[in-house]
Amino acid sequence: MSNYIERFTAGERVLHWIVTASFFTLLLSGLGLFSRLFNGYFTLFGGGGNAIMVHKIAGIVFFFSSLYMFLKHRRDVSTFDEDDRRWIEQRGGYLSREEAHFNIGKYNPGQKLFAIFIAAATLILGVTGLFIWAPTLFPRWIVQLSLMIHGLMFVGTVMFVVVHVYLATIGNPGTIEAMLYGDVRSMWAKRHHPKWYKEASGENP
Amino acid sequence: MTNHWIDLKNSDVILIMGANPAENHPVSFRWIMKAKDAGAKLICVDPRFTRSASKADVYAPLRSGTDIAFLGGMISYILQNNLYFEEYVRNYTNASYLVNPGFKMPGDLNGLFSGYDPKKRSYDPKAWSFQKNADESVKKDPTLQDPNCVFQLLKRHYSRYTPDMVSRITGTPKEKLLEVYKLYASTGKPDKAGTSMYAMGWTQHTVGTQNIRTMTIIQLLLGNIGIAGGGVNALRGESNVQGSTDHGLLFHILPGYLPVPSADLKDLAAYNEKYTPKSKDPQSANWWQNRPKYITSYLKAIYGAKATKENDFGYAWLPKLDPGMNGSWLMIFDNMIKGKFNGFFAWGQNPACSGTNSTKVRNALAKLDWMVTVNLFDNETASFWKGPGMEPAQVKTEVFLLPAAASFEKEGSISNSGRWAQWRTAAVKPLGQSKADAEIIHELYQKLKALYVKEGGALPEQLTNLTWNYGFKRADGTIRAIDTHLVAKEINGSFLEDVEDKPKLKPGEKPPPTPPPWAPRKLLGKKGELAAGFAQLQADGTTSCGNWIYCQSYNEKGNMMARRVKKDPTGLGLFPEWSWAWPVNRRIIYNRASCDPNGKPYNMKKAVVYWNPNAVLPDGKLGAWVGDVPDGPWPPMANEKEGKKPFIMRADGLAAIFGAGMKDGPFPEHYEPMESPLAKNPMSGQMSNPAAKNFSGTGIKEDAFAANDGKFPLVATTYRVTEHWQTGVMTRNTPWLLELQPRLFVELSPELAKEKSIKNGDMVEVSSARGKVDAVAMVTRRMQPFKIGDKVVHQIGLPYCFGWSTPGVGDAANLLTPTAGDANTMIPETKAFMAAIQRKG
Amino acid sequence: MADAIKAENRKGFLVDTSRCIGCRSCQVACKQWNKMAADKTVEQGSYENPRDLTPALYNRIRFLEVGEEPGGVNWLFLNERCMHCGEAGCMKVCPSPGALYRTKEGVVAYNKEKCISCKYCVSACPFNVPRYDSDDKVSKCHLCLDRLSGGMPPACAKACPTGTLKFGKRSDLIADAQATGKQLYGVNDLGGLGVVYALEGPPERYGLPATPHIPLSIFLWKDVIKPLGILGFWGSIGAMLLHYVTIGPKKIDEAPEKEERHE
Ligand code: HEM
Ligand code: SF4
Ligand code: SF4
Ligand code: SF4
Repeated sequence: MSNYIERFTAGERVLHWIVTASFFTLLLSGLGLFSRLFNGYFTLFGGGGNAIMVHKIAGIVFFFSSLYMFLKHRRDVSTFDEDDRRWIEQRGGYLSREEAHFNIGKYNPGQKLFAIFIAAATLILGVTGLFIWAPTLFPRWIVQLSLMIHGLMFVGTVMFVVVHVYLATIGNPGTIEAMLYGDVRSMWAKRHHPKWYKEASGENP
Repeated sequence: MTNHWIDLKNSDVILIMGANPAENHPVSFRWIMKAKDAGAKLICVDPRFTRSASKADVYAPLRSGTDIAFLGGMISYILQNNLYFEEYVRNYTNASYLVNPGFKMPGDLNGLFSGYDPKKRSYDPKAWSFQKNADESVKKDPTLQDPNCVFQLLKRHYSRYTPDMVSRITGTPKEKLLEVYKLYASTGKPDKAGTSMYAMGWTQHTVGTQNIRTMTIIQLLLGNIGIAGGGVNALRGESNVQGSTDHGLLFHILPGYLPVPSADLKDLAAYNEKYTPKSKDPQSANWWQNRPKYITSYLKAIYGAKATKENDFGYAWLPKLDPGMNGSWLMIFDNMIKGKFNGFFAWGQNPACSGTNSTKVRNALAKLDWMVTVNLFDNETASFWKGPGMEPAQVKTEVFLLPAAASFEKEGSISNSGRWAQWRTAAVKPLGQSKADAEIIHELYQKLKALYVKEGGALPEQLTNLTWNYGFKRADGTIRAIDTHLVAKEINGSFLEDVEDKPKLKPGEKPPPTPPPWAPRKLLGKKGELAAGFAQLQADGTTSCGNWIYCQSYNEKGNMMARRVKKDPTGLGLFPEWSWAWPVNRRIIYNRASCDPNGKPYNMKKAVVYWNPNAVLPDGKLGAWVGDVPDGPWPPMANEKEGKKPFIMRADGLAAIFGAGMKDGPFPEHYEPMESPLAKNPMSGQMSNPAAKNFSGTGIKEDAFAANDGKFPLVATTYRVTEHWQTGVMTRNTPWLLELQPRLFVELSPELAKEKSIKNGDMVEVSSARGKVDAVAMVTRRMQPFKIGDKVVHQIGLPYCFGWSTPGVGDAANLLTPTAGDANTMIPETKAFMAAIQRKG
Repeated sequence: MADAIKAENRKGFLVDTSRCIGCRSCQVACKQWNKMAADKTVEQGSYENPRDLTPALYNRIRFLEVGEEPGGVNWLFLNERCMHCGEAGCMKVCPSPGALYRTKEGVVAYNKEKCISCKYCVSACPFNVPRYDSDDKVSKCHLCLDRLSGGMPPACAKACPTGTLKFGKRSDLIADAQATGKQLYGVNDLGGLGVVYALEGPPERYGLPATPHIPLSIFLWKDVIKPLGILGFWGSIGAMLLHYVTIGPKKIDEAPEKEERHE
C-alpha cells in the first residue's frame, strides 16, 4: 500500500485552475459593476472600461472551461446512492464536532451538488451575460431580467465558492493536495471517500 | 396680408383654407395658439388632414379645386340667414351699386356672365357696367333692395350654391359644411373678427384669383376687413417674396405696383392718362390719383439727372410690353420651347423642378443657346442637360452656374407677408467665391454698360443712363462694392431740389397771392434730404423715389427697418417701432373700416384706430385718428365736407363685392379644374374657367391633358412640407432636413391602397398625362375618398420638394402637373390635376 | 426623492402636446446646437423620421395617427426625450460615479469621459432613452447644460415656435399648467419627471406608460439583490470562519482508529 493515491490527472488540475483563475478574474472585474461601493476594484484593471473588457474575456474562458470541467466529471457528480442520502441527512457531519463516517464515492453529495450548481450557474451567467453584453440587440425585458439574474447568480456562486474554498482547504486538511499535486494521501482518501478508495486502489480500507 | 402675423392672435375664428401654415408657416402658429388660448376657434379646410388640421377645432375635407363652391355656399349661408354686417356692407362696399339691367349671370347663361366672346376666350367688361347718374356718378340703392343692386345680384348668384349642391361638388359632408359656415359666419357681429389664411392652395388654380375674391366677399359681408384679427391674409411662401413682388419681380409691374408700360402708351402723359383713376366724389381719397408722382419719382430714381422734364423723364427708355402681351411664367417657357429665346437667367430659382409640367420646362431649356443659373447649389435646372431623359451630347445649351451668397451672408431688408421690412445684417461672410446677388448684378451691369458704350445697340440709354449710385465711386466712376444702405436710400427717395410746402387747394379755391421773394419760404424738404413719406413726392421731377410704397423706410431719422423697439401701445401686437411696414408703417391696412362712419371702433376692445374729435393738431385744427397709422388723416366719412371713405386705394373709396375688374366674371363662379374627374360641371354647362388660357391643341407634345379620362382617375395635388423649402435646393442639401423627409412620397387613403393592392411603404409609380414619378406610398387615414354625386373620387397628394439632382430622393412632382394658368394671373394650376397610381414591381 | 433635488432649484420642461404642430424645429435645433451629424433614414411611409432616438438624436417627434370617430382621424405629436427623472433608473444602475450625475437644476447629466460603456442605463430607463455613440459612450439629452450655464434656454425650447416646449422652473411650469386645468403627466411619477407633459387624453394614447416606473427586475437587482448579496459575501465568509473555530476542520490523522464506526 502506497501512502498516496492519484485523484486528478494533470489535465484535470490545469483545467480546474483555469476555471478558478477566470472565476476570480470575473469576480474582481465584476465587483465594480455590481455596486458603486466596489468602484475601487476597477483600478485593478485601469478603469471601468477595461474591467468590462477583462470581464468579457474572462467570462468566455470561464464559460467554456467550466462547462468542459463539468462534462469531464459529469459521470462522477450526477448520480446519487443510498450512502449519499445518509450523508445529506446528516449534512456530511459538518455541523458537529462528532466524528461522522460515510461510505462515499469519488465525490460526496455536497461536492456533486456544488458541481451541478456551478455548471448551471455557468450556463445562466453566460447566457444572461451575453444579453447584457449587447443590450440593444435584444428585447428590453430580456436584458432587464438578465441583469437581475446575472447579479443573483453572481452572488450565489460567490457564496458557494467561499464554502467550497473553505472545505477544500482548511476545512478539510489534505484536500488541497488533490488539486495541487494530483495525489492524495491514502489516509485522506479512506477517511473521506472510502468507496472510491476501494475502487481506485482495489484495497479494502 | 392686409394684416400681419402677430395680428392673428386677435382673431375669434381663423379659417385656414388653401394653406397649411403649421407646416409651411410654423411660426404663424405661435399667434394662432395665442388666439386659441383666448378662446378662438380654428377651422381647417383641406383635401388632406394636415398638421394644421391636427390643431383645428373643425376640420372639413374637400376635393382639390372646389374652393369657390365651398365658399360660395358660405356666402349663400350668410345671406340666407342674415348673418352679414349690414352697416359695414352698406357703407363700405359697393353692395348698393346698381348694375346695368342687361347684366346676366351664370344662373341665366349656363355658366357664363354677359359679355363673353368664345373666340377670344375673354369677356367684355362693359357688359358688367354700373348704372350712372347724369353727373357720371354710380346709381345706388342704400336699402340694398333693388333687384339690380350688387347685393341682390350676389344673393341671387349664390342662391344656387345650396349645401346639397356644394357637397355634391366638394365631397364635403353636408354637416361639416354647415358646421364651418355657422362657426365662421359668427364673426359677422361687429365685435367679432374672423381671419382667412391662404397660400398656394388657393392661388395655384385656373380660378385662383376668384378663390381669393370669394373669401374677400365673405370678409366684406362679415365686416372683417380693416379690423384687428381680420383680413384676407396671403401667406407668402418665401421669406422675401413680398419684398420681391413689391420691387417689381413680376413682368407686368414696376416697383410699387406701377404698371409696366405697353408700347402703345407713347409718352408719360398717355401712361398717366391710362393708369391714373379719376373720381369726382369728394369723399373718395382715390389714392392712385397720385400715380404720376410715383412714376416720375421712380424715373428720377433710376435715371437721375438724365431724366428731365423735356425728355419725359426718360419714359422712353423704360422697357415696354407689346400691347396685350403676357410675359408670365407659363408664357416664358411656352415661348422658350418654341425657340423664341436665346438666353435665360435662372436667378435664385429652379424651374426644372418648380415649374409646372417640368418636362416642358426641361425640354425648353434645351432650346436655349445659353443659360446662367445663379444659386447656392447645383440643382435640376443648372444640370438639366444631364438629367433623366436628356442626351447631354444633344443639348446645345451652354450653362453657367454663378455661386450666390445665402441670405445670412449679406445685409439688407426682408419684407415678410405682413409687409414688415426688417433689416438684417450679415451674419457671416459669403463662402468661397460666392457673391451677393447685388454684387453679381453690379458686375454684370458694368460689363454690359461697357459693351453698350463700345458697341452701341438698340436703345443703349436704357442701361447707360442708369444712375447706379450704389457705392463709393472710384475716379473712373466704377464702384468698389455695393453699399446696401445706398440702395435702400434710393428706394426710399429724396429731394432733388428744395421743394416748397404749398398748401393743397380744394377745387375752386383760389391760390394765395405769390409771396414776395424775400419772404421766408416754408420747405417740404431741402435738396439732398431723404423723403419722409410718399405724400412728399412730386410729379415735376423735384423728388426721386425708387419705390413709393417704401418711402419713409429709410429717412432722415435713420433706417426705420432696423428699428427693434418692443413697445406695443395698443396691446394688439402692432409694435409700431419694430422695423417698418409699408405703407407708411401702417400695420393693418384699410383700418378706417374698423370704425363706424363716425370713427368709433366697432370693437372697442380691439380698436385699431379711432377718431378723436378733440385732438388738437399743430396747425390748430381739431380731430385726429389715434392708434395704428390710419389710411389717410382725413376725418371719418360721416364728416360730409372733409371725410373720406375707407378703401382709399379704390377710385370710389369702397370695397368691391362686385369685381368689375376681373377677367373671368364680377362674381366668382365654380368651374372645374382644367383636369377634372367629372364629365360635367354639376353647377352649369361650362366645364372650366372660360377665360383661362388654353394650352391644349397648340401642337406642343408636352402639353397633354386628361380630363375625365379613365386612365387618370385620381385627383392629385402638390404641396410643401415643413422639412423642405420650395424645390428643396437648400433643404435637400441640409442633411439634418433630408434626415426628416428623405424622399418623395405620395399620400393616399387606405381605401385606394386596397383597391390598388398597395401597402404602406411600397414603391409606387404616380403618373399623369404628362409624366411619371416614383414615390413611396404613404397610406394614411388622413386621406379619404370623396363622394361626388354618386361617384367615389380618390385624392392623392405629393410634395414637390424633391428632384433627381439629389441622389435617391426621387424626381420632381411637377413632372405631373399641367400647363394651365389662372385667368387673371396665369399662375399654374398645380393644386388640382388628374393622375394614376400603380404599385412598382 | 432619490438624490435630493431641491424643488426650488429644479428646472424642467412642460411639454404641452395640444400646441405641438410637429414641425420638428426642436429636433433640428438640438442637432444643430450639439453639432451632431445627420442620421441616414429611409422613407417608410410615415412623416416620423428617424424612427427612434439615436446617439445623434436627443429628442424627436412621434407622429401618432389615431382614429377617432368613424371616418375621423387625428394626428398627435409627442416630443420624446429624456425625462430627467427625479428617481432616474439610469443613474440608479450606473456603476461609474460621475458618468451620469445630477446637477443642482435637477438635470440628469452625463460625462462621456467617465462612461464605461456598460450600457446598464439603456435597460434601466423606464422610457428607453439613453443611446450609445460610436465610441460606445452614453448619449442623450443633457438639457443643454452648456446653454443653461450661459443663461440661455435649451436649444429645442428656444426653437419651438408654438410654446409646446416651455422651459423654466419646474414648480412654476406645473402651477401655471394646473391653473389652466391641463391634464398633467409626470408630476409625481419617479420622484417627479423633469419633463412634465400636458396631454390630451390618457398617456396610453401617446404610447406613454400610464404609471412609469423603474422596471421591476431592475428594482430587484439594485434594491434587493445588491444589498443582500453584499451581506451574503461577508456572511458566507463569516460562517466559514465560525465553522473553523467552533466545529473545526475534519482532520485526517485520526481517521484510521475510528474506521469501524462508519461500517
Ligand atoms: C482558491 C480557490 C479554489 C480552491 C483552493 C479549489 C480547490 C479545489 C479542490 C481541492 C478540489 C478537489 C476537491 C476534491 O478532490 O474533492 C476542487 C474541485 C472543484 N472545484 Fe475548486 N477550488 C477553487 C476554486 C474553484 C472555483 C472558483 C470553481 C468554480 C467556479 C471551482 C470549481 C470546482 C469544481 C466544479 C470541482 C470538482 C468537483 C467538486 O469538488 O465539486 N473551484 N477545487
Ligand atoms: S428618462 Fe431615462 S435616461 Fe432620462 S433620466 Fe429618466 S431614466 Fe435616465
Ligand atoms: S435640451 Fe438640449 S440636448 Fe436636450 S433635447 Fe433639447 S436641445 Fe437637445
Ligand atoms: S418645435 Fe415645438 S411645435 Fe415644433 S415639433 Fe417641436 S415641440 Fe412641436
